[in-house]
Amino acid sequence: MESVVAGVVIAVIKILVILGIVLGVGAYLTWVERKVAAHIQRRPGPMVVGWHGLLQPIADGLKLITKEDLFPRYGNKFLYNLAIVLALVPATLVFAVVPFGPEFELFGYRIKPILTDVNVALLLVFGLGSLAVYAIAIAGWASNSKYPLIGSMRKAGIIISYEVAITFAVMGPLILAGTLSTYEIVQRQIEQNLWYIWVQPIAFVVFLFSLLAETGRVPFDIQEAEAELVTGFTVEYGGMKFGLFPLVEWYVEVLSLSAIAVVLFFGGWSPINIPFMGFVDPLFFLGPFSPYVWFLLKVTVLFLFILWLHWTLPRYRIDQITEIAWKVMLPLALINIVLTAIIAPVVWR
Amino acid sequence: MDYIGFLIFFGVMVGIALVMISLNWLFGPRTPQEYEDYPYECGVPLYDKSAQTTFHQGYYLLGLLLLLFDIEAAFLFPWTVVYRWLGVFGFIEMFLFILILTYGLLYAWRKGALNWQFEMEEV
Repeated sequence: MESVVAGVVIAVIKILVILGIVLGVGAYLTWVERKVAAHIQRRPGPMVVGWHGLLQPIADGLKLITKEDLFPRYGNKFLYNLAIVLALVPATLVFAVVPFGPEFELFGYRIKPILTDVNVALLLVFGLGSLAVYAIAIAGWASNSKYPLIGSMRKAGIIISYEVAITFAVMGPLILAGTLSTYEIVQRQIEQNLWYIWVQPIAFVVFLFSLLAETGRVPFDIQEAEAELVTGFTVEYGGMKFGLFPLVEWYVEVLSLSAIAVVLFFGGWSPINIPFMGFVDPLFFLGPFSPYVWFLLKVTVLFLFILWLHWTLPRYRIDQITEIAWKVMLPLALINIVLTAIIAPVVWR
Repeated sequence: MDYIGFLIFFGVMVGIALVMISLNWLFGPRTPQEYEDYPYECGVPLYDKSAQTTFHQGYYLLGLLLLLFDIEAAFLFPWTVVYRWLGVFGFIEMFLFILILTYGLLYAWRKGALNWQFEMEEV
């Protein structure tokens, strides 16, 4: 009985930490993005609210909260609100299977810094990821307006195209690790002295393309297309309801998929890897905190890389995007699976 | 037992989502005007009140392809986990499976199902 209570208490603490990361950091990433974008385009970005615009996300949040609650008159109210729940909940739940660091002992309890270390973690990630399609399709349909419908259909088409590519891409690392648990995958990479990026570059490229497409980042942001579609499926949403969609798509989903990419390809919390030789840790002086710093560092670098792409590249057309998914990414992922199956014994030894 | 944390998290997130939905209703002003909830369409009166009619059939084709290939993926996932213990037998079995899968992809490609379906393509 006592262990059940302790388990629940530990779970609640972990949930609070994850919520802090997701909603707090997620909101502040809007500021980071605006600053990065501004400096890429050689302008200062937000400077007025607070020091270097540091209070800007709070000001934006207050502004969004105090907008009038509008609802398109021919729409479906239940589906309209359901779309918001379906967008926010699955995207955030992915963080339940993200391992932030190695197991440690505190007050006699052995704690893993992962909310639920289940043996089907990656299936859970893709199951929840697929639910994003429903949110977008329902949002466009329930608004009962033409631009949202076109935008949501485009976005749904892109997501389901890249859903296939991403599921086949992650099979490479899975073959090498031989497990679906995210925690175990990182452990295997440490045991095998190998970040899987060194033997899975193709899978990583396919994963990165799918990440950009599923989160609607440039160069695959055709559902936004401000010039023609006036931000796609969010046209009829206002206030905080509107604010949630970009927050979830651009920040929460990018963060969660970056974290999954770090787990699969960059060895999670392990320090810099020399293939088959071992690990070098320039941050050894941080002691027990070094794994967490490494994990956050890798996710940050990946996130900044995605921002850099976003503010540098132009946009593809919808037909080019879906044809790349089926004609380039899917065959590449299939070839990668066969190649990985051949070289896998070398990695296991 | 592993999933207790997940269930609590799910409940908390649904609660947060509901709060987010009602925030504007709680704090927003209420100044009803005649056309404020009118569907957006470049400022002209709507020709058709409902947008929920037929849409581009290319999306339907994409959905069909997703169903086919995601089922194949569901077959491959268990194999990736136990491949280490299957040895040569497992490799040949799955090589044949992926070969048939690739043949299906090439068939769809040849038939033009992977091309984006333009409505005016033949004109």
